[in-house]
Amino acid sequence: MSPRLLALIPSAVAINLAMGFLVNQLGLPLYVDTIGTVLASALAGPATGIITGLVSQFVRSLYEGFIWFPFALVQAVIALLAAVAARQRGFRSLPISIAWGAVVGLGAGAVSAVISYVVFRGVTATGVTAVTTLLTGAGLSRPAAVTAASIATDLADKMLVLALAGVALRSLPGRVAARYPWAARAIGR
Amino acid sequence: MTLHPFTPFVLVGGVAALAFLLPPPVGPVALYGGVLIAALAAGMGGAAVAAGLVLLPLWGFLLLLHGILPGGDGYPAAVAQGARLGAVATASIMLLRGFKPSRFLDAASSRGWSLSAAYLIVSTLQAAPRLRARAASILEAQRARGLRAGGSPWARVRALVPLSLPLVLATLTEVDDRAMALEIRGFRSPGVTRTPLDPPPTTGRDRSLRWGTLILVLAASVWRFG
Repeated sequence: MSPRLLALIPSAVAINLAMGFLVNQLGLPLYVDTIGTVLASALAGPATGIITGLVSQFVRSLYEGFIWFPFALVQAVIALLAAVAARQRGFRSLPISIAWGAVVGLGAGAVSAVISYVVFRGVTATGVTAVTTLLTGAGLSRPAAVTAASIATDLADKMLVLALAGVALRSLPGRVAARYPWAARAIGR
Repeated sequence: MTLHPFTPFVLVGGVAALAFLLPPPVGPVALYGGVLIAALAAGMGGAAVAAGLVLLPLWGFLLLLHGILPGGDGYPAAVAQGARLGAVATASIMLLRGFKPSRFLDAASSRGWSLSAAYLIVSTLQAAPRLRARAASILEAQRARGLRAGGSPWARVRALVPLSLPLVLATLTEVDDRAMALEIRGFRSPGVTRTPLDPPPTTGRDRSLRWGTLILVLAASVWRFG
């Protein structure tokens, strides 16, 4: 691994963790804690994104407990789909970034729902579980409620994440962007 | 005596495996009890309290979804899952409180492990609090400039742009300096190996704990699936 990637990955992981802090401060019912993973994929390709995602989940597990480590698979899915978005110039404008966010959200939500149901019996992060509880109370079966809650929250979250990542990529100084092989294509230059 | 840096990871992995292998609800509850006793014996009662505080809302949801609301798996399943989460979270927080990044790096390099992998973990653990502090100072600075970080959900989403952009751009710009620093130090030069000054020793206690954990997990697997 090149020194540039060795320097990028810890920074991208730290962005993930710091964004989680900002979102908590704003009291938003979302995570926005995969923006570093998306940026790493869009700047340096899927392998860098996947490593960023796995290290993020590992470090978060150190802080919050290894109970959440199975969600590392979701990070990998996000990194792969973000790399596809970058190859398809998916960060060239705000509407296109949001549309790719919906694609990433659907993929991440589907994987997340399976993990939530199989490993955690539907009880994971507070916000998603609150939605699951409401849907169960409204008469949905447990698998349907877990799936709907996971996909709905991931859809909103990843649309915001890719929109923010797109704004950041388009605002990146040319000198910095030029150092990454995937950056120019990601923003359609 | 301090354990070798790898031993706590083996222990946490063992607790996670046993939490799902032991028969519910008695197995996970007994495991959680064992972890709590170990935390108290190690003088880490605070880790147990911290894990309990993190898990409190989840325990509430488990009782609600699986006990109170119709169609759930019942109270025994809720208790078992709550105990699994409690055991793993308590063990993880104990690991974090005893984790020394420099000792971990020394242990990894003395074993001949990839220095890149160890560096990724250690430099992330050092970068995370720094970026969190930077996020907090950006939040304060933008508030001082009149940013409204409250109100409707849409207003709060919009507030994310002036908060996240300076954080992300400054961090990505710094990557250049860090990459150059690594290059100058010959981090990836071919044929260069790192010699740890004080490699942590693997004691008999470490070996007993690791082998004991492995035997317990194997026994539980055979008993469960055999």
